[in-house]
Amino acid sequence: MCWLCEKYGDSEGGRWYLNPENYARRLYKVRKATEEASGADADPQSAGMGAGAIAELIKARIAEDPEWEKEVRDEALEHAYQTHFAQVVTVDEFMQILDTAYPLVKMTCGCRRVQRGMPDEENFTCMGIGPGMYKWERWPETYRGGVEFMTPEEAKEWALINHKQGRVQTIDVFGTPYIGGLCQCEYPGCVAVRNRVDYDFKFLLKGHSVAKVDRDKCTGCKSCLNRCQFKALNLEVYTNKAYIDLDTCFGCGLCATACPVDAINLLDRESLPGLANNW
Amino acid sequence: MRDMIAQINIDYDLCQDPLVCRGCLTVCPTVVFVCGPTKIWKFRETDTKEYKVVARYIDKCSGCGDCEKACPTGALKLGFISRAELRDRFRAERAAKLAAQQIQE
Ligand code: SF4
Ligand code: SF4
Ligand code: SF4
Ligand code: SF4
Repeated sequence: MCWLCEKYGDSEGGRWYLNPENYARRLYKVRKATEEASGADADPQSAGMGAGAIAELIKARIAEDPEWEKEVRDEALEHAYQTHFAQVVTVDEFMQILDTAYPLVKMTCGCRRVQRGMPDEENFTCMGIGPGMYKWERWPETYRGGVEFMTPEEAKEWALINHKQGRVQTIDVFGTPYIGGLCQCEYPGCVAVRNRVDYDFKFLLKGHSVAKVDRDKCTGCKSCLNRCQFKALNLEVYTNKAYIDLDTCFGCGLCATACPVDAINLLDRESLPGLANNW
Repeated sequence: MRDMIAQINIDYDLCQDPLVCRGCLTVCPTVVFVCGPTKIWKFRETDTKEYKVVARYIDKCSGCGDCEKACPTGALKLGFISRAELRDRFRAERAAKLAAQQIQE
């Protein structure tokens, strides 16, 4: 069983991010005596989103030192799983979450500000959840662009538009196990997707689903081809069928939605022995 | 991996407000640059002057030169170094750091 479901799932063994308890973050914070983050003040390379680890990882790779690389990875992930990480979910799960969590806001995406310099007013693609949002409503200057409240119905409508446009939907943890954000993003604009795809940095976990092509049904129409943000999908030109690398698939379901003949099925990752623990 | 690795130098006296300029951030075809807050990230960074652009994903740079051309202030200078040389430099850095840690312990 997935270690997160085991630890934070409900008593019926459901998926951890569908458990309402994980959306009920306490309103107080207990400050730890330890450092809050690595020294971004001194070194702009390490600025933002645990990225100091990636700068170091790139060095270790160029140095061809696997031991160094592993050390960076292990240390960064141990910290991430206690504080801040993300996981891919399907659009159906995303909708269920929008029925569970409250309040919901639209807000700017920190990743595309950082990676593409996108102006915040053109960049409201993320969702914030929970009572913490009232703080950003009251003091909008503390989060660039502020927040825009949505009803669950508005949020679902908006999420569907994002899914149709081809954005991967993920949950974001702020202080494990509390889920405080929902992202709708892409490769390489999303720091989490980029760092996972290019550096196998498991800050972003694969989803509980995995997509499989039904070769009898697939007509080779190519509608699904440009949907994958994880480089898991291509066309077998000779057999004229879509091909999904199941080891690489994150289970976002973007390809399945695009298929006009329902030739792509989303399976439960944990029901496939060959993919067990491939998060 | 590439034989040559980019060495991108940014003069921060010339590059003062990267989130307003965004030149290199917008043009780079492989998203080599990131523009992060120089303070500890707490999701409350509002002053664009606190942001600095750095070439983080240097292993992804093809050397197309678009960033240097797009830079209006002349702050950005693109150069290359052989991977072998950079490898040795990073290895030496790492060895020095490990040695320093051992002395501490
Ligand atoms: S193959 Fe389909 S489900 Fe899997 S990651 Fe790509 S788009 Fe998502
Ligand atoms: S959209 Fe469906 S039918 Fe068309 S190529 Fe993809 S899997 Fe095959
Ligand atoms: S040379 Fe081209 S690939 Fe390299 S950082 Fe500049 S724009 Fe990006
Ligand atoms: S293009 Fe030049 S001035 Fe503009 S953000 Fe990049 S380095 Fe700074």
